[in-house]
Amino acid sequence: MRLTDVNKAPVEPHITECISRNQETFRCWWSPGSFHNLSSPGALRVFYLKKVLPTSEWIECPEYIYSNRECFFDVNHTSIWVPYCLQLRSQNHTYFNEDDCFTVENIVRPDPPVSSNWTLLEISPSGLSYDVMVNWEPPPSADVEMGWMRIEYEIQYRERNTTNWEALEIQPHTQQTIYGLHIGEEYEVHIRCRMQAFTKFGEFSDSIFIQVTEIPSKESTFPLTLVLLFGIVGILIIIMLIVVSQQHRLTLILLPPVPAPKIKGIDPELLKKGKLDELNFILSGGGMGGLPTYSQDYYEGEPWVEFIEIVAEDADTGEKDNQGSDTQRLLSQGISHHMNISFPDDDSGRASCYNPDLPDQDTLMLMATLLPGQPEDREASFNVVERAPAPERGERPLVQTQTGGPQTWVNTDFYAQVSNVMPSGGVVLSPGQQLRVQESTLATEEKTQKKEKKHKWSEDTEDNKQKELQFQLLVVDPEGSGYTTESNAWRISPPPSSPMPGEGYQPIHPQPVETKPAATAEDNQSPYILPDSPQSQFFAPVADYTVVQEVDSQHSLLLNPPPCQSPPPCLPEHPLKAIPAMPVGYITPELLGNLSP
Amino acid sequence: MPGNIRSVSFVVLVCLLFCSRLTSVGATPICTNAHAGCHVLSLSNLFDRVIQHSARMHGISNDLHSEFEQYFLPSRNQIGRVSRNCHTSTILTPNGKENAQKMAREELTEVILKLLVAWRDPLWHFHHSMAHYDDFNNFSSNKALEMSDMVHELRKGVEKVAEKMQVLGITSNTVNSLTSPEALLPSESAEWRLMKDYDLLYCFRRDSNKVQNYLKILKCRIVPEHGC
Repeated sequence: MRLTDVNKAPVEPHITECISRNQETFRCWWSPGSFHNLSSPGALRVFYLKKVLPTSEWIECPEYIYSNRECFFDVNHTSIWVPYCLQLRSQNHTYFNEDDCFTVENIVRPDPPVSSNWTLLEISPSGLSYDVMVNWEPPPSADVEMGWMRIEYEIQYRERNTTNWEALEIQPHTQQTIYGLHIGEEYEVHIRCRMQAFTKFGEFSDSIFIQVTEIPSKESTFPLTLVLLFGIVGILIIIMLIVVSQQHRLTLILLPPVPAPKIKGIDPELLKKGKLDELNFILSGGGMGGLPTYSQDYYEGEPWVEFIEIVAEDADTGEKDNQGSDTQRLLSQGISHHMNISFPDDDSGRASCYNPDLPDQDTLMLMATLLPGQPEDREASFNVVERAPAPERGERPLVQTQTGGPQTWVNTDFYAQVSNVMPSGGVVLSPGQQLRVQESTLATEEKTQKKEKKHKWSEDTEDNKQKELQFQLLVVDPEGSGYTTESNAWRISPPPSSPMPGEGYQPIHPQPVETKPAATAEDNQSPYILPDSPQSQFFAPVADYTVVQEVDSQHSLLLNPPPCQSPPPCLPEHPLKAIPAMPVGYITPELLGNLSP
Repeated sequence: MPGNIRSVSFVVLVCLLFCSRLTSVGATPICTNAHAGCHVLSLSNLFDRVIQHSARMHGISNDLHSEFEQYFLPSRNQIGRVSRNCHTSTILTPNGKENAQKMAREELTEVILKLLVAWRDPLWHFHHSMAHYDDFNNFSSNKALEMSDMVHELRKGVEKVAEKMQVLGITSNTVNSLTSPEALLPSESAEWRLMKDYDLLYCFRRDSNKVQNYLKILKCRIVPEHGC
């Protein structure tokens, strides 16, 4: 509809509007404009053009309704998707505006929907607002069933006597929910429609009025839920109280404590890394006087802890003053003036013995403390625990000097099996096995040979240390029969190159070294040599475990030779003692007493 | 290195598997018989999808058309200025409700397909010519692309519907021209190249409305259960 100002330039007769309601017919209205003389019926005629074909002509309006100044196009004269143009003709003039061309689908304004009603959906629990569902029917003029028209609807509502309408989203269904209306207020609702994907809306429907007054009813289930809720909360509180009051017992039941290594008198903190100096100090007797004092304090309330008790007896260290350490006392002869080491039968103590993280020195110290005293024969030099595997050539000669020394060497491994516990408190360790001894023997022999060569390999690995350590504790028995063949030698991986720090107590017989250099020359791969049958003192086969005789001032372990397992290979000329044949690896208490000088 | 090769080959294998899965899912065939593992769509369902698609297509064409009008020809109603008829004017389409009702289902389906086929190329070119309009923002250019795609997909959808109808015996088997709708195109199909972009949009808007309408009529005639 064009807005024209009548006072301005004269307005031509024009078509005011064309509307279709159902996309099957349409009607157009015209106005004479300012030309009032043309307002009489018949003065102006309407012609239309359907641009169907390239050639088309103007046809007069099929049906006039002069009272409305309306031209009605019925079904026969209406074509959709075809451009129409309309013009007005007076007797001598034609008024045509190109803006008056259109296609019918673009001028469709559907009729409003009918039969709208509403139903109450629900009221909020607070009783202040409610939701409503509004239903309606599509306009009867629009043929929706056939699918000829696809209509979408828009609902608008407002509170009575207000001016602003609230519009909801346009959607194609014939029902919609209005949420959040207030109790007690009266609302006015009306609906309008339009074609889908087009823009022109039809008229609004008649308004319907919605009002809901207060509903005083209370639901019976409400108190029930309340009761349930309070009950649950109360139960939870009671449970929490129980848990809090019985906390300790519950933690005992649910989370039983894990036993940790505990040595009576020694703070487990010391067993951690980096604190072994203190531990050494304690074990070596620095805290001897104070050891018992720890025991009770730390573990008072813990019944599951049993200790390895190190009880210091009469310190008869007259002869051993130069050593002055507990280990000496431990290992010195005469169980009487040695410390008692009791092994309670539980787990708590053993873990601390077996600690591969500890440096060699300290583990050996521990070992030393746990072993019964042995005849001290310190002519052999023990160099158990030198820290760095730095080559100490100075020790080498010691090895060689040991050949003539008293043969207190006993082959053993780093770990000794406790075979017996003496009534006096000493511990008897079983000697090592023969095979292992021989292997280590070979290895040690190789090492001595290496001393002539350059020390190419000086890898400072942990493995090296370990292996060295093993070798350190071995006493070479350079007896021909006792040695294994090359095949046995293979069992040990190439030993570390650097000379053993603990070489001191390895009574490697130098003779095999000199007598059989050819052996090594033959087979470069095997670092082991087969020593000749040397003239060394004893050939006793060595079991896995043996007895530590003594610990000398330099903290080297003096090891017992193993007892002879079979009479023939057994060398009776033991400088110390002739150990009679006995069950493998075990020494009876009487023998032990015999061993001490 | 062998670890890398292995992992790469594994990834490639997985990708291939997935890709084959995806492509197979995208081209889910309509099962004529209710085979196991075959997702059978009812005709009503198919119709609904296709109609929704066409409605969306019409909406986009409407938006594009009004945007075009705003940008380039803001002054007046341009219907009268359509100098040429649309290139699809040669296709005989029912122009009223009664005509549409009287038309047979097969014919109606055929008309729809003709229309869709006729618009495939012009829309594609239109989309490309959109790039020349600097003023026309990217949003509109995306719409043009979308429109072009939609025509393509809608055509496939309608073809499926036609198949289904044939299988169900709703339509007779005389519609073998459906297999090659390109043959239905008039030979002087290059006419659309002469149309200006605005005219093209106007014509397509009209034709998309036709397609939507015809589809709805078909549906309400054949499967009037839901939403008619």
